[in-house]
Amino acid sequence: MGTFIQLVVDGLSTGSIYAALALAIVLVNQSTGLINFAQGAMAVFSAYIAYVFVGWGVPTILAILISLIISFVIGAVVERLLIRRFEGGDPDTAVVVTIGLLTLFTGICGWLWGYNNRQFPSLFPLDTINVFGAVISVRSLGTIAVLVAIMLLLQLLFIGTKLGLALRAVSFNPTSAALSGLPVGRLLMVGWGLAAALGAVAGALVAPQLTLTPTMMDTALVYALAAVIIGGLNSPIGAVVAAWGIGVLENLGAVYVPFIGHDLKIAVPFIILFVVLLLRPQGLFGRKVVVRV
Amino acid sequence: MSQVSDLLRRPWVRWLILLVVAVVLAVLPLMLPVFVNQTLTRIGVYAVAVLGLNIIMGYTGQIMLGQIFFLGVGAYVTAYGVVNDWNIVVIFIAACVIPALLGLIIAFAAARLGGLAIAMVTIALPIIGVPLAKRLSDLTGGSQGTSARFSSAPDWTGLYDDQWQYYVVIVIAAVAFALAYNLVRGKYGRAMRIVKENEAVARSMGISPYRYKVMAFTIAALFGGASGFLYMVAVQYTSPETMAFHHSISLLAAMVVGGAASIAGSLIGGIYYVLVPQVTNAIDPTITAISQGVILVAVLFLLPGGLVSLPRVIRRIFRRRSGGTDQTPSPQPTPPATQAEGSETERQA
Repeated sequence: MGTFIQLVVDGLSTGSIYAALALAIVLVNQSTGLINFAQGAMAVFSAYIAYVFVGWGVPTILAILISLIISFVIGAVVERLLIRRFEGGDPDTAVVVTIGLLTLFTGICGWLWGYNNRQFPSLFPLDTINVFGAVISVRSLGTIAVLVAIMLLLQLLFIGTKLGLALRAVSFNPTSAALSGLPVGRLLMVGWGLAAALGAVAGALVAPQLTLTPTMMDTALVYALAAVIIGGLNSPIGAVVAAWGIGVLENLGAVYVPFIGHDLKIAVPFIILFVVLLLRPQGLFGRKVVVRV
Repeated sequence: MSQVSDLLRRPWVRWLILLVVAVVLAVLPLMLPVFVNQTLTRIGVYAVAVLGLNIIMGYTGQIMLGQIFFLGVGAYVTAYGVVNDWNIVVIFIAACVIPALLGLIIAFAAARLGGLAIAMVTIALPIIGVPLAKRLSDLTGGSQGTSARFSSAPDWTGLYDDQWQYYVVIVIAAVAFALAYNLVRGKYGRAMRIVKENEAVARSMGISPYRYKVMAFTIAALFGGASGFLYMVAVQYTSPETMAFHHSISLLAAMVVGGAASIAGSLIGGIYYVLVPQVTNAIDPTITAISQGVILVAVLFLLPGGLVSLPRVIRRIFRRRSGGTDQTPSPQPTPPATQAEGSETERQA
């Protein structure tokens, strides 16, 4: 039983990291209708920025906060300078641009910092606590707490503030939003900036576990995309629940199903995904999108 | 200029050009050094993979990020067949059919959700494929990979190995290109292009977008498998690294840089895929990824039709310059230009 609880908590913790990235992807998709395949690579870049500040002697938490702000700016600038030009055109081209950004950001990280693994300090102490005979690491609990805090903050932002209302209006109907005087372009920049900051959180959480490399987030991106599809592209809650589910199930699968093991556990979300797509193509929590001709 | 293009339009001129190209391609490897022959062979290999990608992505408009997975499966099937002494024809067919079947199964699920689902699902293929290949070590040789020496030149030809491999790859690649050319020009190609343009319109014309997406995906996987076979002919060794994720991104970049929805663009894509990393690696290996990102984004910005559209763009600039002297001297704004470009890309396909 102890192992089981431990696996579930660890699963929720890794699931929280995927969830942060998945939320970033949903955020971009809601505002611009795109899937940003560079979200993971941008998160790695943010983690490297935090790493640089840590190297200069800045405390870890402060370094991560600074990297959040810088990531927000980078996200907004990327939207303004690169994505803006392809918005309203063929969405496929815009997605290919994000794939180009994926290579570009990975390449920038590799060029500036090399491809060797680098140690990133953990935000949480490496202690463990004992709950009902299960040894649970403080890091896992901390990671889950961070994600819950993010969700509450986002909820507060989108439901409780004027900015959130404007962002929702733009994602709901950009044309009407523009006609009622909202600065759509600037709001899209805010959306991309928020997504990049969310990605930066995911990067800072994952970097201590995986050690920092330019391709660190490739796998996390696949998990996050799977979570987004399973949860439904237009449902942030669905994405988080799906990410948690994936985290827990793959951990359990790795231990209890001998064939899967730790090297093949990435196949678990894919199998879930496969079943979900066949049975409920719009995702577990998603709505069907109706296209008007 | 117009006389030249008129001449080019005549069938007999086209056949003549084709014949000349064929003769040059046939004679060239007899005189070139080994390294050049091997490079040309690898261009053939990857041109077929890019061609497959172009059918699903360029023509049918479904972004696909896992083409390298099918190349890898094709290569592994080939290696397995060679190790177990299958007939070479059986190996080739298996190397095409098994990836195609896998593609069919994956497409059944992935094409269900419209929009970008195919992209989001196929990005997982290389990322799952690598650990899977390591795990199934009985079939694949695990992390060490597996080698299969079967493409040495037969004695009766009197050729060197590199020349023989070149001929095998070029002949199969030429057949693949001819098949793809006919496919995209025929009924299926037109249907695929309508699916890309507007799924609702396709449906109203009795064309099922789902079915055509699955079909195009399967064909792409089949070409991927064939290129895997060619890969084994050229390299004679494969390992999980063959289907690493970044290779898949590179294939996609090569397709876009070469020219989406263009058969000639696929060939340019193959050339790009092989040559540009060779150049950047020679300068500094750490700039390979970054230069690829820069080139891809720059091409999307400046030349959305890919390198294959370059002659047309240049011609248009010349025409504008010569025709624009008597009109207002101010340069044309870009939007109409890009629009015209888009429609021309479609036509040229």
